[in-house]
Amino acid sequence: MIARLRGDARTLPVLAAVVIAFGIAAAWNPTFAQAGTYAAIYAIAAIGLSLLMGNVNQISIGQAGFFGIGAYAVAYGTTTWSLPQSAAWPLAVLLGIAAAALAGLAVGFIALRFRGHYLAVATLAFGLICVGIFHESPILGGAIGIQDVPYPQFGALTISGYPAYWFAWIVAGLAALASLNLLRGRTGRAFEAIRNDELAADVLGIPTRRYKILAFTYAGALAGLAGAIYASFLGIVVPDAVSVQLSITLLLMVVLGGSGSVSGALIGAAVLGVLDISGHQFENWREVAYGVLVIAVVIAAPGGLFGLLRRPARATAVPVPPTAPVAAQPLAVRAIIPSGDAPPLAVNGVTKHFGGLIAVNDVSFALERGTLTSLIGPNGAGKTTLFNAISGVGTLSGGRITLAGTDVTGWQPHRIAALGVGRTFQNARLFGEMTVLENVIAGSFRSERTSFAADLLALPSARRASREATERAHATLARLELEALSDTLARDLAFGDRRRVELARAIAADPWLLLVDEPAAGLNASERATLQRDLLALRDDGVTLLLIEHDMRLVMSISERVMVLKFGTMIADGPPERVRNDAGVVAAYLGTSA
Amino acid sequence: MLQLLVAGLTVGSGYALVALGIHIVLRATRIINFAQGEFTIVGGLIALTFVQVFHVDTWVALAGATIVGFGLGLAFERLVLRPAARSGEMALTIATIGMVSILLYGHALVPGWGSLPQPLPAFTGDVSDALDLHGVSIQIQSLWVLALLFLALAVLYVFFDRTYYGKAIRAAANNPAGARLIGIDVTNARSVSVGLAIALAAYGGTIIGPITLVGGAGGVVIAIKGFVAAIVGGLESPAGCVLGGLLIGVIEKTIQGLPGVSYGISDPIVYALLLLALLIRPQGLIGARSAVRD
Repeated sequence: MIARLRGDARTLPVLAAVVIAFGIAAAWNPTFAQAGTYAAIYAIAAIGLSLLMGNVNQISIGQAGFFGIGAYAVAYGTTTWSLPQSAAWPLAVLLGIAAAALAGLAVGFIALRFRGHYLAVATLAFGLICVGIFHESPILGGAIGIQDVPYPQFGALTISGYPAYWFAWIVAGLAALASLNLLRGRTGRAFEAIRNDELAADVLGIPTRRYKILAFTYAGALAGLAGAIYASFLGIVVPDAVSVQLSITLLLMVVLGGSGSVSGALIGAAVLGVLDISGHQFENWREVAYGVLVIAVVIAAPGGLFGLLRRPARATAVPVPPTAPVAAQPLAVRAIIPSGDAPPLAVNGVTKHFGGLIAVNDVSFALERGTLTSLIGPNGAGKTTLFNAISGVGTLSGGRITLAGTDVTGWQPHRIAALGVGRTFQNARLFGEMTVLENVIAGSFRSERTSFAADLLALPSARRASREATERAHATLARLELEALSDTLARDLAFGDRRRVELARAIAADPWLLLVDEPAAGLNASERATLQRDLLALRDDGVTLLLIEHDMRLVMSISERVMVLKFGTMIADGPPERVRNDAGVVAAYLGTSA
Repeated sequence: MLQLLVAGLTVGSGYALVALGIHIVLRATRIINFAQGEFTIVGGLIALTFVQVFHVDTWVALAGATIVGFGLGLAFERLVLRPAARSGEMALTIATIGMVSILLYGHALVPGWGSLPQPLPAFTGDVSDALDLHGVSIQIQSLWVLALLFLALAVLYVFFDRTYYGKAIRAAANNPAGARLIGIDVTNARSVSVGLAIALAAYGGTIIGPITLVGGAGGVVIAIKGFVAAIVGGLESPAGCVLGGLLIGVIEKTIQGLPGVSYGISDPIVYALLLLALLIRPQGLIGARSAVRD
């Protein structure tokens, strides 16, 4: 489980107790019961928004639109379909959720084309378009909306008044549990990785775009569900009820409670729900107070109320005893390359321009299986650009890239990663807010087999997948002798350890091609020795390695082949001894008067 | 036809000024000020207070509202934006949304303002005064609105392009670290930028006041149309913001003028246009592609 979620899971029973206590107390007070019912309804929508904001860093000021879709679906369905209410109601609710989810999917698709602030504007526009449509649609009652929406009915049982409190909170509780399941499973790990470092998540094979759209869809579905229940118990739906103010209120609940957590959303909704009881005689003042509160919270307590309750994550780096370099031993990486004779990597005439600058100029080479090749060259030679090209980051200006016979030119990074290609970065892009173990688990994302639905319901298959991923990660850490660091947050690691953890993360998914960008930079002598041992062990496991490195002693001692780039052009390619004595290479490094 | 055009340009002037304000705040703080439309509403109300309490004409009220707007902007930056900026960009954006709630509901609580829109006296003569141009009648107020819009643009242009101080503010916005190195007070520049943006909001709210009335709950609508304008025209380009504003105004009035079209449907169409514009040309009519994700 992600470290951040442990507090969340622990807080839920406490909140449940509060809800039950309040419910019992409210039996004698209809105003309290009603306020509590609305708090539950808003909590459902707030949970979805909290996931969206806290986990994928996207603001939405259009949640009222999804809420409205759910509300109108129920109002319309239950008042016009010629079905008994006990059949019409569930159908209408499902329709509302599905329509809202679909709208969420569409908004997600559109929204992903933009950076942060455009996105917020797009969601605001979506909310306003929805209100406009509700307002202008004669079948939805125009400005006066739909009235006399019947209460939900199950057989002879009609739910309204006080029982509505319990019904709404049961739904909210289920939504909270499902959301927590989601966050604890593979989906949550993907969200967390994306939130920490999108590019690193992408090259680990996590389809970042798909997960962001998923977050929008899920938030939309929950807002739709909230709207459906709202319409059922209020009995009337008007366009003004689902205006921008509702979107702002939901946003406020999430910010107040603490975005990213399920408990935070529940706390925020409950606090505002209780404020609402007293707020009715202070029209306008209440909304002004909301505004002041939200500003005060983002300034003084960006983590929200839940953030204040929660103890800050321990930031203690566990010292590791230095390990003496030992002989190469297998790292047990199952490098299962597609069969056939195709080379693991073939680069053909690859060119990359940045405006007028040619970073990589018509480079071609192919790697043999199970070999270790180094790519060297002065700073700015285009080495990392070439790595980006191979791993699908950015677009090529020309040429083709083939991986084990599959032409991957133009593929997105996560698809390339999913083929079996691993990569590390020059500046070790770990997921800083996740522990070492979680980082490595995220590395095996693509070999985990579980579905969204299994995550949501915490089915045995999802739990098994999580357990297996954790075991694998422990094993990988043990083989790299990093076990002692398992529970350390990645941002607290020493530099040399960051590199090694990144390597562990990259091999957790059993890649058959591994691109390693300057792994020795900044390492001390003993760390370099360990690195050399690990790289050779990987090669012996059958992994094909391509290494960018400036440490010539390391390069010359472990590489079977060395390629030299200068200003984007390949100027030498061959065994280390030959390259070392190549006049052109010497000139490139030392300069020459010729 | 000409009548629709002028009507469109008139409301468009309001959107253009909101768009410009959004642009200025965006440049200074890297976030979108969602409260820009609400400040426009409040600015018009401040002008109304000048007229009602001090019995001055609308010209003096315009100057007064603009100056008070500048002060409000400074306070907004100091008390809300600057502290919130420490919690990150998302927090900063959320703070401006909180401000929407405060201004939208707060202005109704101020004595004399109320929640219903009120008329502001015309700049000259009566609001209904019109020029007759070959059978087409054009409101004199509309001409004033356009003239005042271009006056504001001229002043802004001179300030940002021709004065040392204006250039320093642009430098601070483009590259805060670099500007600091050459001795520009970046914090101060930000503060002045926001002050200017809110002064512009007050100015805009006042010049369109005689025609559109001041006050009411329309701030969100004005703000979103300001965004539409800024995004259609190009959020990163002042000229694009103005062009976008005028264009949106004209499109809106044209849709409303079509036979058989319900008045209320024009807004959703304008918002849908925004989404379309975002999809097709995210950088706007005028603007670099930097606005687009790679």
